[in-house]
Amino acid sequence: MAAIIEVEGLTKSYGNKRGIIDVAFQVEEGEVFGFLGPNGAGKTTTIRVLMALLRADAGLTRIAGLDCWEQSVAIKRLAGYLPGELSLDPGLTGGQILEYFGHLRGGVDQAYLKQLIKRLDLDPSRKFRQYSSGNKRKIGIIQAFMHRPRLLILDEPTNGLDPLNQQEFGRLVKEVRDEGGTVFLSSHILTEIEQTCGRVAIIREGRMVRVGGVAELKDIKRHEVTITFADTVPAKSFQALAGVEQVEMLSGGHTLRLAVSGGLDAVVKEAAQHQVVTLTSHEPSLEDIFLRYYEGDGLVPREDGNVVH
Amino acid sequence: MWFTSVYLKTLRDFRVGILGWGLGVGLLMVAVLSAFPSLVETPEARDALVGLAGSFSWIAEPVAIDTPGGYATFKYGFTILVIVLWPLLVGSRMLRGEEESGSLDALLSLPRSRARVALEKLAAMWTALLAMGLLIGLLAFAGGSSAGADFGLGGGLLFGLNLALIAGMFGAVALLLSQFTQASAAAGATGGLLLLSIVVDMVHRVVSNTEWLSRLSPVYYYNLSKPLVTSYGYNSGAMLVLLGVGILLSAWALVLFVRRDVGGTAAIPAWLRLPQRAVRPGEALPVNAWSLRSIYTRSLATIAMPTFWWTLIIAGFAGWMVIIVKQTEEKLAVLREGSPLLSEVIAKVGGGDATTNASLLSFLFVFLPLLLMAFAVTQASRWAADEENGRQELVLATPQPRSTVILARFGALATSMVVVGATTLAATALSSAVTGLKLDQGNLAAAALGMIPLGLLVGALGYLFSGWLRTAVDTGLLSFLLLIWFFISFIGPELNWPDGALRLSAFYYYGTPLLNGLPLLSTLGTLAVTAVALALASVRFARKDIGR
Repeated sequence: MAAIIEVEGLTKSYGNKRGIIDVAFQVEEGEVFGFLGPNGAGKTTTIRVLMALLRADAGLTRIAGLDCWEQSVAIKRLAGYLPGELSLDPGLTGGQILEYFGHLRGGVDQAYLKQLIKRLDLDPSRKFRQYSSGNKRKIGIIQAFMHRPRLLILDEPTNGLDPLNQQEFGRLVKEVRDEGGTVFLSSHILTEIEQTCGRVAIIREGRMVRVGGVAELKDIKRHEVTITFADTVPAKSFQALAGVEQVEMLSGGHTLRLAVSGGLDAVVKEAAQHQVVTLTSHEPSLEDIFLRYYEGDGLVPREDGNVVH
Repeated sequence: MWFTSVYLKTLRDFRVGILGWGLGVGLLMVAVLSAFPSLVETPEARDALVGLAGSFSWIAEPVAIDTPGGYATFKYGFTILVIVLWPLLVGSRMLRGEEESGSLDALLSLPRSRARVALEKLAAMWTALLAMGLLIGLLAFAGGSSAGADFGLGGGLLFGLNLALIAGMFGAVALLLSQFTQASAAAGATGGLLLLSIVVDMVHRVVSNTEWLSRLSPVYYYNLSKPLVTSYGYNSGAMLVLLGVGILLSAWALVLFVRRDVGGTAAIPAWLRLPQRAVRPGEALPVNAWSLRSIYTRSLATIAMPTFWWTLIIAGFAGWMVIIVKQTEEKLAVLREGSPLLSEVIAKVGGGDATTNASLLSFLFVFLPLLLMAFAVTQASRWAADEENGRQELVLATPQPRSTVILARFGALATSMVVVGATTLAATALSSAVTGLKLDQGNLAAAALGMIPLGLLVGALGYLFSGWLRTAVDTGLLSFLLLIWFFISFIGPELNWPDGALRLSAFYYYGTPLLNGLPLLSTLGTLAVTAVALALASVRFARKDIGR
């Protein structure tokens, strides 16, 4: 499949403040691509450069082979965009806002528009300022989807949506993907990305730290193993084992919680030397992997307890 | 230190306003007081000035006009009330502005009562106004000393205090109105009330036996004190009325604020409410409104209401001026016969001779482009604010070139200015026909429509500056430019400034169209500069990062 978004060596700074540095990734046509990173990592900056709201200092950004800055109008014909912070005319009703953007896009399928409104359970007769934050988000989502764009660029789209509408949004994204559309979305809701996206990029302090399939990222995972023994066991005997990165002693020494990368063979064999009451192995979520990338930066508070590194 | 309380933080936010307005208005006082000696070089000139001022009593009551303090008080008349713009904006945004931006939620989450937060902010506004008054008073005293005025430091300070009191009162009005509506609507309504107050105060000086009506206007009580005129002094009762009304309205606003929802509005009586148009969700689409068809039509719909009010103000002012001039006509004719120096004095004070009605009206018509340019400042400010607030983000995410977005918006502004100009022409023509004041219709059209290029110029400059500057700085710079231009054209001739200096003001290029018709070259020049500024603004907008 051809890449619909191509980003190479993208750099953008705000005066002497860091923005993004040498960011590179590609999004294939027809995939749902997740963009992860903590606040201030550079997600929104990247997205706003793609939408030609910011001009890159250096690097190449293309959408469907078109230069994001020079050919931005052509790009906007094929893209739908939802900004991270939505600000619209507070005096217009939801219906008026959608009608206005529909006209600016050269007209939209009214039947599809009404369908979107119904599916997201939006009352379009209220003024924008009267909407709750979740309903404002729905307006943003609908205007992004309503012209059936080839590419959707969504900055934290489900922020403020209730779980039911988050599910409906997930279904909308899947429908777009099934129809051959591409979705590029940033999110803090990692389980959502895990369920929705095929590939994920992680950005940290303005630089890309990882790009890969969700399954690939899980391959670098470490297991979290919790073993409860009939008697106390020495933590040191597990600490020295291959792949064991962290040992935490709980319940007065009866229970060990281990962080293990790679195979579990050595751990299981060592545990077999003692009387095991229970053994559970927890497969890490994408969230665990994501958090792991930020460990060491003081971003993730470690649990208090008897942790042995 | 400045971040230890809401009061100090708010006062810190006002520091630019205090210095800008305090020094600005204070320096205007210095300028007009310095110009006074050149106007009364001979006893004949002094007599002519006194006679002329009597004919302009609708501006302000002429008291001891042949003294520096009396002349300065008369010369600025109601125009010095421009300082009210500051508390008008501050009062309307003090609480409502922060609610609209969402920052008040965080402030009110602190362990402080709502009443205390509001009181601290209000106290900061009053402190700022008193500081402005102090600066103005000190500079008025300095200017008076250089012109040999007989008023002392106390007179100067009382003059500043009187200004601070009326400004604070209108700030309280804006604060109160903002409890019922959005900040911009509260500011607009307060601005309307200010103009209405000026006109209502004017009435008793134009129509006899109407003082009872003028007493309804706060400006009447402001004018009861003339501290720069030692023989007149100040009226402590009138000053207390202004203070009392200001406190009362502020207290009412605070009571409403403490009781209402944050983000909501205080309930207004049912008879004042606009009827709600019930729309069922199923009928909300399609809307099929003309204003939603394009950026131009949407911009036109957005600007429609401000255009209506500004048209009412500008066209109403122009029509009113025609009536005033008709009433002044006879008095001036008598004066002209008795004083050969009168024409010279009018030339210095007003910019034309006194041989026709048009010459007098021409002097008054300089306020029309000023008002239209002020309207342009508000719209340029709105353009900058829309980008800053992120409202352009989704418009620019549609397949509309950035140049289309800015030009369509400017097109709507230009359309509204044409509406203002055309309505002003109609209003003045109608007033002229009704009162029987003879005016050259071609020149009248030139005067009404000739202000449009100046409005467009200010709009284009505002759009251009917003390419680099934040909204507050853009608006401040434009307002400053407008004041400087007005100052050059209003005071420059009295100070015998060279033509080169007078040409620095945009008002110079408006000329005297009522007397001499449309200054074609100047108008074309203004339009050319506007086109260049707009082109540069478009290029800049097309290339810049969109701010948030």
